[in-house]
Amino acid sequence: MAVEGEAGVPAVSASGRRRTRLDLTAPALLGFPVVWLVAFFLVPIAIVAAYSFDIYSLFPGKHGFTLAAWRAFLHSSVYLGLFWKSVKMSLIVSAVVVALAYPVAYYLALSGTKRKYVLLLVLIAPFLTSYLLRVLAWKVILGNEGVLNSFLVWVGVRSRDHPISQLLYSRFAVMLVLTYVWVPFVALPIFVSLESLDRRLLEAACDLGASRWQAFRRVTLPLSLPGVMAGFLFVFIPTVGEFVTPSLVGGTSGYMYGNQISDLFSTGFPDWETGSVLALFLLAVVAVLTAAFARFLQVRQVTAH
Amino acid sequence: MEEGRDLLERRISREDLLKLAAATGAAGLVAGRTGLAGAARAELAKESGRLQVLDWAGYGNDGGQTMFAAYVKKYPKNKPQFTYMTNEADALAKLHAGLKPDLFRPYVGWTKYFATSGLVQPWDPKLISNFKHLNPFMVKAGQLNGKQYGIPEDWGFDQILYRSDKVKPKAKSWGLLFDERYKGKIAWFDDLEMLTIAGLYLGFKNPWNQSDAELKKSQNLLKSKKHLVRLIWSSETNLWEAFGSGELWIAYAWPNDWVQMKKKKLKVVYMHPKEKPIAWVGMLMLLKGTQRYHLAHAYADAWSSAKSAKWLEDNYGYGHANTLARPSSSDLMRVLQITNPRAVTLPNAYFDRDIPRRSLYAKMWEEVKAA
Amino acid sequence: MDVALSANGKRVLRIFFGLLVVFLYAPIAILLIFSFNNSELPTFPLSGFTLHWYHQFLTNADLKGALETSAVVAALSSVGAVLLGVLASVALARKRFAAKAAVSALLLSPLVIPYVVFGISLLLFFHAAGIPRSILTVAIGHIVISLPYTILVLVPRLDQIDVALEEAAADLGASPLQTFRLIVLPLILPAVVSAFLIAFTTSFDEYALASFVVGTRITFPVYLYSALRFPSQLPQVIAVAVVVMVLSLIVVVSAEIGRRVAERRLSL
Repeated sequence: MAVEGEAGVPAVSASGRRRTRLDLTAPALLGFPVVWLVAFFLVPIAIVAAYSFDIYSLFPGKHGFTLAAWRAFLHSSVYLGLFWKSVKMSLIVSAVVVALAYPVAYYLALSGTKRKYVLLLVLIAPFLTSYLLRVLAWKVILGNEGVLNSFLVWVGVRSRDHPISQLLYSRFAVMLVLTYVWVPFVALPIFVSLESLDRRLLEAACDLGASRWQAFRRVTLPLSLPGVMAGFLFVFIPTVGEFVTPSLVGGTSGYMYGNQISDLFSTGFPDWETGSVLALFLLAVVAVLTAAFARFLQVRQVTAH
Repeated sequence: MEEGRDLLERRISREDLLKLAAATGAAGLVAGRTGLAGAARAELAKESGRLQVLDWAGYGNDGGQTMFAAYVKKYPKNKPQFTYMTNEADALAKLHAGLKPDLFRPYVGWTKYFATSGLVQPWDPKLISNFKHLNPFMVKAGQLNGKQYGIPEDWGFDQILYRSDKVKPKAKSWGLLFDERYKGKIAWFDDLEMLTIAGLYLGFKNPWNQSDAELKKSQNLLKSKKHLVRLIWSSETNLWEAFGSGELWIAYAWPNDWVQMKKKKLKVVYMHPKEKPIAWVGMLMLLKGTQRYHLAHAYADAWSSAKSAKWLEDNYGYGHANTLARPSSSDLMRVLQITNPRAVTLPNAYFDRDIPRRSLYAKMWEEVKAA
Repeated sequence: MDVALSANGKRVLRIFFGLLVVFLYAPIAILLIFSFNNSELPTFPLSGFTLHWYHQFLTNADLKGALETSAVVAALSSVGAVLLGVLASVALARKRFAAKAAVSALLLSPLVIPYVVFGISLLLFFHAAGIPRSILTVAIGHIVISLPYTILVLVPRLDQIDVALEEAAADLGASPLQTFRLIVLPLILPAVVSAFLIAFTTSFDEYALASFVVGTRITFPVYLYSALRFPSQLPQVIAVAVVVMVLSLIVVVSAEIGRRVAERRLSL
């Protein structure tokens, strides 16, 4: 195993004896994590790929390489239509989330408030509590006999027999809950990019006669765009494959692509070939997006520290 | 190794048991049964560990304890441990994915599928003392090639539940599930059975084995009516919640759902459609390679007793295959026609049956949901 | 003049911030209120104070079993993720090696996989490998999804530490392991604790992946999900929800405060 030149470690320190004890080389350090991810992350995905081509199957019967499931998927307007519906829902959610998070991040980063880290923590703390329970909270709120409707009846705005009934089990409910769930998380990268903004640029812009609005549009917004993009992707990627929220509050119209994948592997008569195709297609789309926007997703930009 | 030897021993002693049964057969049933009981008790002593049961939510330690209370009392060391299934397909996936329960409970439409799948083995009815009280039509539905693969337990109908204060059906028909007047108030069931129901409604000769053209028509009907549907339910509690709070007025439903909604003081009708309801019965099935053969039989026996049966009828609102059981509710007696052992078959209802092209049906149903 | 915000703008944004905080916390507050409400249904008007639901969940063996299982899974997976995360982070922050970009992409890639896809992948994998599903299979999956988070917390902290400290230690004859144990570890300890907590809460709360790979001993979120479908269990689930949420809020907030205090002290 070759010992690589290490940044900052002076050559003199590499005495013969120490060299043999110098276990902490990059391969030694990376060995476990990389092997773990290859074994429990890449290989499982490869198995899904094998499944989608019917090279491998758990079910008895004749199997061999075939593109049938892929061909059926790509010719099926149904599944692609569902995918498109999920993408649209997810895009709307991501856009709304960013629109809500941006002003807040802006306020925290640029208003000069002294307690900005405390307030930031207030903002992101809900994100660190149980996801399912936050979904549950909305289920309790939105139902016909839920908190909101019973409140409206109680204060006399609505009669008991005519609650607002389209709240739960709808596309609206899914998008509302997803927005709720992801807002805190997205405020974070936007905050980081705004905070690292050099205020002197804004001052210079003002000195040159720009109004606040012009300075914002020409300086702040472009410079915070990486944070916005990162936030957008961090919502879009998990929500486009979401299945938990729609299964709890979505009803028929809130059914998403992720539900279809999940159903094909559980409640539907096991059709794991089609399920694998759907899963891989989603993964491919996400991978392309991630690669295309990789520069926005750098490590530094998603940590608040 | 240890397991292998256990298996071997058991197989040998099971043969002994059969010999014993044959030998005592002529001497009379009573003698035979005591002999069997003795041998069975010896067998039971050899079986260890908790009985692994794959069942539906609500039938384990989450409310269904009475069904197997007699078993737990007898074998406190082998208390059942539950894994829950969402439906048969989910159970099938779980079995293929390595779950190894001792027994599970699919419904009658799947009996043939599982019996021929190589996953299960036939029961020995002689080890189930309550077996003789079970409804013969249902017992027959649990057989394949003369072997008893399924022990019938809970049964009921698939019919239509609606709010009589909100809904005025044009006819007693499955068509109510497709009625444009009640957009956003209708619930379907998340199962390929919806295609069978569509086939019934469209008047096809064999809805369980539709031709390609028929199946396409059924699918198109469902696709074109899906916009009316608020919820495609997969758990009863989900249905109760939505129906009970007025989000739904019309639903594909089981007898218990009707009982539950009546309990909520809703004005509900459980409608018997003119195209006929579909009747079903839960079948306990025994997994091949179980390490707890006799314990599983004892468990099935507990489930089949008249006491468990009555409890099930009173608390879950289904019928039970044990013909001695009578529910306390006269409503339930009437809806289930408890005193009529033929209620589950024609002319009253279609008994649910095997779907030869199940994977095609499944694919088409998934497409309906995705559309 | 403030170049970023006018006085009015600041006021508007402050109000907006306040409204968003209300939006974020109101549902949680509502859960809290109804966990003490003496009614099976969460509806207004409130029908009286009760501790019944809390009492009920304390006596619910299934629920406690699920909480226990989740605690075990979360402990296993957070320790695993932090160990792997420290190894990877030291390599990423301190070493130069071939294909660094590719390796870091691999290490961070679990961040962007939809859990439904990863869930079915692991399901198929465990089956193919003949590994029966158990709490270990859940922990294995959780290590994968927590690992990138630990790296995201640890690498920036390592970047802040002056490499000269480690060089000095090496010059004084410390082995790399000694250097790590005596110099680096104490300095990154706050970040290690954060990473551990993030991994722990991620695992404790994770449903999507667990639902595919869980065995007979179910985790708390899996239990919760099935209980959500039972109206009669709703009040006690709400009670547990409140307990879990308040606990995790306390843990997270105090850990974050502790980390900041410790880091400030360490960077002096």
